[in-house]
Amino acid sequence: MRNKWKALAAVFGVLVLSLLLPAPALAHGVNIQYSSDVEIKIVAKYDSGEPMAGAQVAVYAPDDPSTPWLTGVCDDEGRFSFTPDASIPGSWDVQVRLAGHGGMIHIPVGEGAAASGGIGGYSYLQIGLMAACVIWGSIGTALYFRRRRPA
Amino acid sequence: MHIPDGILPVSVTAAGYAATAAVTWYSLRKIKQKEDPRQDIPKASLMTAAFFVVSLIHIPIPPTSVHLVLNGLMGALLGYYAFPAILIGLFFQAVMFGHGGLTTLGVNAIIMGLPAIIAAYIFRLRRIGNKESPRKNGVFGFLAGFVALGLSVAMFVVILLTSLPADLNAAVEQTAIFALAIAHLPLMLIEGVITAFLVIFLRRVRPAMLSSL
Repeated sequence: MRNKWKALAAVFGVLVLSLLLPAPALAHGVNIQYSSDVEIKIVAKYDSGEPMAGAQVAVYAPDDPSTPWLTGVCDDEGRFSFTPDASIPGSWDVQVRLAGHGGMIHIPVGEGAAASGGIGGYSYLQIGLMAACVIWGSIGTALYFRRRRPA
Repeated sequence: MHIPDGILPVSVTAAGYAATAAVTWYSLRKIKQKEDPRQDIPKASLMTAAFFVVSLIHIPIPPTSVHLVLNGLMGALLGYYAFPAILIGLFFQAVMFGHGGLTTLGVNAIIMGLPAIIAAYIFRLRRIGNKESPRKNGVFGFLAGFVALGLSVAMFVVILLTSLPADLNAAVEQTAIFALAIAHLPLMLIEGVITAFLVIFLRRVRPAMLSSL
């Protein structure tokens, strides 16, 4: 019988002690955070429509335009994606380069951010019109210099 | 083949412009020494248009695709007129299509224009020996087209390899540059054949169209 009381007292003691100790709220507290980091997806293609597979990408943050913030490589479809640091707003420059060909695109992050954008890319009609203009200029030049000169 | 803006350091593009200015001056001087410098301008003007448009023709050579340059043909038909013609053609390509760029116009003019002048001299070799024949005409036409593009590719590779930026993975870029250069080997044959056929054809129908250099 005495042992029984001893055990009860011990259990009671432990319970009291556990109440006295500062315990973190382990059970059902909830901690939710969110951030609105935007992933920027890039697709790089030649003007012939071919993807720039394996092209090297250098991302420059607005605060340091000389050293790349991130470097990477496009996949076989010419795609590359990265998440810019939202705490550095401004114009992020992304350079894509493959075998001496490539270009740079300026992506506004933070204020003035756009959902999509791009450089280059004319429709066939535009290219045809531009080519026709230049050809006509050349033909005109040729005709001008072919005209008969007064004797 | 056209090096766009933002690839080369400023020193190289400036040197390209300086060299282009010198070669343009020399070409114009040579043109001025001709009996009637205006006589070949219609031909040069039409060839400029052809050079301008022909870069839009893509030829798929796996794993990449290349476009026609035809600077050897320019040299074989135009002689010293080829350099200013190529310079003007490149200017319009850069402004209109974004092929190449305005900062790299000088470098690109040297890459494609200098081999054109060399091609003109190669094509002139058809007149060595006793007299020119249709066969010699074709052979040196082929060589003009073949060698001119080869020289252009070589200059393109050397200029890019000597000015690789430090923050680039050099090994990857070098592999890509060499792959592109190798893809141009079939194009050298194609342009050689095109040039040969054209000069054979022109010799028969209008010999005055060939370079009188």
